[in-house]
Amino acid sequence: MFSKIGLAISFSPTGKALVKESLRLQKVFNSRLALIHIGERNSESEELLFKTIDEAGANRNNIELIWGEGDPATAIIKAGKEAGIDLLVAGALEKENMLKFYFGSVARKIMREFPSSSLILKSPSLEPVPFKKFFITADYSSRCEKTIRAAFQFALKENAEEFTIIRDFYMPGLTAAIGENKTYDELSSLIDQMKYDEEEKMKLFVNELNLKGLEIKIVCVYGKEGWEDSNYARNNNADIFAVTGPEKKMRFLDRLFPHEIEFSFEALPANLLIIK
Amino acid sequence: MQLTAEHITTFILSISIMLLFAKVLGEIFSKLKQPAIVGEIVAGILLGPTVFGMISPDTFQWLFPQQGVIKIALDSFTTIAVILLLLISGLDVDLSIVLSQGKKAISTSFMGLVVPFILGFAVSYLFPQLMGIGEDGSKFVFALFMGTALSISALPVIAKTLMDLNIFKTRLGFIIIAAAMLNDLFGWLIFSIILGLMGANTHGFTFEQTLFFTITFVLLVLSIGKKIINKMIPLIQTKISFPGGILNFILILGFLGAAFTEFIGIHAIFGAFIVGIAIGDSVHLKENTRQIIHQFVSNIFAPLFFVSIGLRVNFIANFDIVIVLTILVLAFTGKVIGCGFGAYWSGLNKNESLVVGFGMNSRGAMEIILGILALQAGLIHEEVFVGLVIMALFTSISSAPFMSYFLKEKDRTKFRNLLQERFVIFTNENEKEKVIGKLVEVASKELKLEREVILKEVMSREKNLPTGIANYLAIPHAKIKIKEPFVAIAINKRGVNFDAADELPCKLIILLLTPENNNEIQLQLLSEIAAKFRNKEQVEKLLELPNASKLCGELKIMDEKGNS
Repeated sequence: MFSKIGLAISFSPTGKALVKESLRLQKVFNSRLALIHIGERNSESEELLFKTIDEAGANRNNIELIWGEGDPATAIIKAGKEAGIDLLVAGALEKENMLKFYFGSVARKIMREFPSSSLILKSPSLEPVPFKKFFITADYSSRCEKTIRAAFQFALKENAEEFTIIRDFYMPGLTAAIGENKTYDELSSLIDQMKYDEEEKMKLFVNELNLKGLEIKIVCVYGKEGWEDSNYARNNNADIFAVTGPEKKMRFLDRLFPHEIEFSFEALPANLLIIK
Repeated sequence: MQLTAEHITTFILSISIMLLFAKVLGEIFSKLKQPAIVGEIVAGILLGPTVFGMISPDTFQWLFPQQGVIKIALDSFTTIAVILLLLISGLDVDLSIVLSQGKKAISTSFMGLVVPFILGFAVSYLFPQLMGIGEDGSKFVFALFMGTALSISALPVIAKTLMDLNIFKTRLGFIIIAAAMLNDLFGWLIFSIILGLMGANTHGFTFEQTLFFTITFVLLVLSIGKKIINKMIPLIQTKISFPGGILNFILILGFLGAAFTEFIGIHAIFGAFIVGIAIGDSVHLKENTRQIIHQFVSNIFAPLFFVSIGLRVNFIANFDIVIVLTILVLAFTGKVIGCGFGAYWSGLNKNESLVVGFGMNSRGAMEIILGILALQAGLIHEEVFVGLVIMALFTSISSAPFMSYFLKEKDRTKFRNLLQERFVIFTNENEKEKVIGKLVEVASKELKLEREVILKEVMSREKNLPTGIANYLAIPHAKIKIKEPFVAIAINKRGVNFDAADELPCKLIILLLTPENNNEIQLQLLSEIAAKFRNKEQVEKLLELPNASKLCGELKIMDEKGNS
């Protein structure tokens, strides 16, 4: 499924845990592993990196080491692309401060711009365990179909206990559309009816995918697209929240008026799996 | 000047009468499937100088005096009303939708602003006599206003029309809504700048200062302000009594925004509108909060405002057919062509673009608000105002029929439009493979694709999961290399096993082929077809029909009943 995993690593306190998580994923996917470090390569930095690898219990000879220089995010993306990484693992804070978020931190830039899939771990563990609760946000597009399939394969490999597909939808201007003549109960029943219709449609969609081996739960929620689904995953203690990578380049305006996937970038609801 | 007991009595009486007439006529028009606002304006015309003032001028003058303290009190009330109307309009605007809809919404909105603006400006500037304006210095600002007036849209009317036509939740619906939101934002911004340009402010700022304050205000409220509001709303909704606390919070912020923009020399409504956008953007704002504030404004303040319009202007004395026709022609041409081309250039087909064009043509309440403010500011005279009101009402009422016409013509994602007699066959097979084979033959001939190619796709889907639904219905389907969906129907009275949920043999077999890489169309048609045949007795009746013509006719009747 993923033939080469890359880990973006710095000398942060979570470095060792990230290596351990990546080693586990390497086994799950039976793939190769590369460590990407951005910074000056000298004996001191090499020693530090080797120490992290050794402490994580990894065999140095089974790991490819990639060094790069320059702006960390740009250099990681470039190195990952050149090395043919198809799943980039990185650690990230659940939430950045406002300035960092608007002007871009390393992890957020990777989430937005890395051309292949990525897995952003918000609290990597020194004793990693399989992910058990998978939540996937979905619409009916072909790109989303790919995300569901990838997440499903991942969940099967992890022997996951829960696989929930969330369809969130929103109708801007709904209150204006129904006008002054409807009561709140009527508005609620209208939303319930729409939720029911969406759920039926999503069931048809999932049926068409013919996925077997794990029970699939479908949930429809009404509210701001991107926020409702990530919030649902957060409230249900998801281990993995899988999303489809942005179709176009996300810019400053997308952060100022967040929509869809930007809500998950703004505050990670769980470990974020971005499928591209 | 002070309000005496007599003044207060008259004031309260006049408000009660305005509310009573507005509600009764608003309800009557709603029952006639017309916007309530039309009824409310008609109520104003009946109560105003046009009718009541003609019949009984003294009583009219006593109840609705045109000067003095009661007039001031009424004007204050309607000013509050218009501020609240713009506040709730702002609540409905969701700029993130514009971003998610991307190029299509931006192109539609941009062209929907620019083309009507240029057309309105050019005609008003070059031929001011058509609008009853002299060749004096004021024609430049007047022309600017006319450009803006023609380029604005009315989100509430548009949203309601989309809902009535059942296209709110479609790709086209989202493009129209997003474009209208962007259109509103820029329309009101331009109008506010025109008011600034006129020197309408009384606080001594220059035009450049007003412009600077306006832009700074917009940027601050929609960035930092929006973030702070988003943090405060959940606190208010949980810690303070609901819904009182949150309603208070929205009104306080709205009025503060309004006061600020009035202070810097642009109208108060703009501040309320921008604050409304910032509040409405919050992910924490509950849908019932929106509903409560909508009810509060739409049932009390909006009717008073719309009735007050009829009280101000004599619609018969100020009716000028040349002005009305000029405004109507400019409004239709500018908006339909502008938005239509914008949508077309962004990749929609001709019919879809026309639907977008007519959808964006509704002006509704926003135009009337714009008109009344311009009238108060001395930008336009009463004949032009009457023309704008008529245009606002006519564009709002005519939008749905035009959209409906173009939607019906070519919407190939609806079962009804895919139905053709020559695609209906009557078979008597005992195996599903054979029925599917016959249906595939029909498809192969029509689509000019190899029979085996289609059959392979349909059968492979069938093997994954049988397509029997229930009530004798089966929908074998596949995604293949075609541009538009295709439907063929087999009536097989003998019944074949498609593993339907109710275990009944399938007699009504509908082959559905859809373009590959378009899951949405397939799902839409699958759910539409499955929903259409939920009634077992109805399916049994269909199975008894003797020929394709009768069957298609009956299916179309069922479709119309289902939509009504």
